[in-house]
Amino acid sequence: MLTKVRTATLSGIEGYPVTVETDLHSGLPGFHIVGLADTTIKEASKRIKPAIQNCGGSFPGEKVTVNLVPAGRPKEGSHFDLPIALGIMMLGSDVIELEDTAFIGEVSLDGTINGIRGALPLAICLRQAGIKNLVLPLENAAEASILEDINILPVEHLKEAAEYVSGIRKLPLYIRKENEREYEESSIDFAQVIGQESVKRAILVGAAGNHGILMMGSPGCGKTMMARRIPGILPELTYEEKVEITGIYSVAGLLSPEHPIVNQRPFRSPHHNITQTGLIGGGVRPRPGELSLAHRGVLFLDELGEFDARVIDSMRQPVEEGIIRINRNLEEAIFPSKVMMVIAANPCKCGNLWDSRKICTCSAHQLEGYRRKLMGPFADRVDIHIKVNPVEKDNLMMYGNGMSTAEMRKIVCRARALQAERYKDETFRCNGQLDEKGIRKYCSLGKESKELMMASYDRLGLSMRGYSKILRMARTIADLSESDRIETEHVAEALMYRVDLETR
Amino acid sequence: MEIIIVRKGEPVYPDRLLEIKNPPKQLYCCGNLKLLNSRCVAVIGSRTSTVYGRNTAKAIGRCLAAAGITVVSGMAMGIDTCAHEGALEAGGKTAAVLGCGPDVCYPAENKLLMADIQRRGLIVTEYPPGTPASRYNFPNRNRIISGLCEATIVVQARNRSGSLITAELAAEQGRDVFAVPGNIDSQYNLGNNKLIKEGAIPLVCVEDILEHLGLSGVSEADARSRLSDREFQVFEILNQEGEMTVDEVCLKTGFSPAYVNPILSVMEMKGFINSDMGKFFVKNTPCK
Repeated sequence: MLTKVRTATLSGIEGYPVTVETDLHSGLPGFHIVGLADTTIKEASKRIKPAIQNCGGSFPGEKVTVNLVPAGRPKEGSHFDLPIALGIMMLGSDVIELEDTAFIGEVSLDGTINGIRGALPLAICLRQAGIKNLVLPLENAAEASILEDINILPVEHLKEAAEYVSGIRKLPLYIRKENEREYEESSIDFAQVIGQESVKRAILVGAAGNHGILMMGSPGCGKTMMARRIPGILPELTYEEKVEITGIYSVAGLLSPEHPIVNQRPFRSPHHNITQTGLIGGGVRPRPGELSLAHRGVLFLDELGEFDARVIDSMRQPVEEGIIRINRNLEEAIFPSKVMMVIAANPCKCGNLWDSRKICTCSAHQLEGYRRKLMGPFADRVDIHIKVNPVEKDNLMMYGNGMSTAEMRKIVCRARALQAERYKDETFRCNGQLDEKGIRKYCSLGKESKELMMASYDRLGLSMRGYSKILRMARTIADLSESDRIETEHVAEALMYRVDLETR
Repeated sequence: MEIIIVRKGEPVYPDRLLEIKNPPKQLYCCGNLKLLNSRCVAVIGSRTSTVYGRNTAKAIGRCLAAAGITVVSGMAMGIDTCAHEGALEAGGKTAAVLGCGPDVCYPAENKLLMADIQRRGLIVTEYPPGTPASRYNFPNRNRIISGLCEATIVVQARNRSGSLITAELAAEQGRDVFAVPGNIDSQYNLGNNKLIKEGAIPLVCVEDILEHLGLSGVSEADARSRLSDREFQVFEILNQEGEMTVDEVCLKTGFSPAYVNPILSVMEMKGFINSDMGKFFVKNTPCK
């Protein structure tokens, strides 16, 4: 006697389909689960037995063997409870055709179905495997409903699911509530930032070309305030991006019933005592870190100078490649990490170096140490470096209304559209991602701008990387003024986005 | 780097050194020998110093170098280092007079600076190669610093600093002595303030020294001829206001940062303005 129930399991942020085979044969009563199941699945036997009995069913008094196919790949998660329980309950009774139906869900001792982590990626892989109907906990129905071509059948109790498979009951299709897909206008807006138009300009350049931004300035001059407003000026998420990001948040267990779908660009601001695992992801069962949670959004590192140097260093490769690979015993987990990097830092340890109203108390030694830590190889890979000056009291009243978030977003979208058109046959999409080859191909200069570059090369002591950074930024600035060619003034503006930190 | 020995009596031997009481018999030089007979000003001070002192030394170094004056100092930590760095930053000339052999780097932290000075300026000493730094050599060395220069500026000195010896020697040699006024609450400024009391010329703004030497900063006529109309417009505002942030320039002119940024950048490359600590200012304008 043998039953088969279809389900899936997670590997990183991707799922793959699994079939639960249950067999009953004579022998001493027992319950065995095989097929590289982890502890949560092994424990399912202890949950399922009372749950079945509390639903009025009976647990077979013979030997039960459950095999998870493919047996060679590791499996994890409490969502195997429901398919295993159903596999046992189906033994020896009539069931409906289940070839294109899959089950996921955790079972309580009283038979209630609890919510699980990672429902969306599981649903995605099952849909790809040809599944038409997905039975899952009610709690996870909203997030999975973002998928359009799979029937979402939520259940709250094991009994409902059992009655469904035996054909006694029909499960209602989950209908998505309309407000779950709306783009919520945020209450924070760039128009609220007084003065600082030059920083807003730099941010505009950064957002338009997806360049990293490093803001340096004394405490309280508005670095964090402006950083929080950056996701608002990035283009709206596409449907595919929403699915991708919601999947990551689903695996991380960060979706709530109030916000089952991520429909705005993420803004992540990890505290500076974060560990390497917390930032780039990892763990025994690899989980996404802050870098992946900020995928397609903004990763904001406040007080870069306070972060552990090793943690900062570990971000170099993931940020450049847009992907994180984590190897654990039998599996390799891949997490995406395409972020817009926004960094804030004080000009010195005490923060007062550039503030004419305050006195810097740092010693020469501290200044040098701080500079060395801040301007390391990581910051060097961030294109835009800008100084943020405090707004003088006398000028406070004189600044009019600056650009609003909506206006800035419009400009960014136009520049991004130009780039998408230009790079349609390339692997990169934005100026910020241009490599050396791309720079040679798309960032050619006229005679006059070449002269300016040469002059600055000598005067500023630019490195080769510094040179490429300026060309990339100049390309974006040209795109902002919708110019095909990079003109001298575009290069000249790009030259402004660099900061030399004082040492002594 | 090749070490060249310049003996008394040779044409490259600096004339000004012949005017002093006990000129060195020979100089071990490394770098650009022309600097020996160029217009020189000494910028000196204590090793222990405050941010104010170091910033001032740097500003003076930059200002002098931009005006074509050779900045002479002793390559010690603190004020001396900043004076050299200021001059190099401005792309100007600087000479370091050492109290050890020309091939010895003292203090060792300044290895990079020394290499830079050798390359772009001049290292001078009366001690033969290999002579280690010794505390008895420094007062002796100081007479060469003041002797090479038309004027000596003491930026910041404590009560019994060696810089005061240099100032005294300069006065004896009939050279001008300037002192930067400092906060009277701070013991770091005791020496330079005392010099003012004793008759040194107070340096109330960096450009005082240029005026004294008969040089002024960037001239408006020069700016008029070498800057475009829109650049000159921004230049004039900076000239009037002293130092400004980009936002303040925008506020004053009504232009957007996208318009002002390239202009400032080009003017910086052309050498008319400088930026420091987030602010822009016209290079060496006479103080207002």
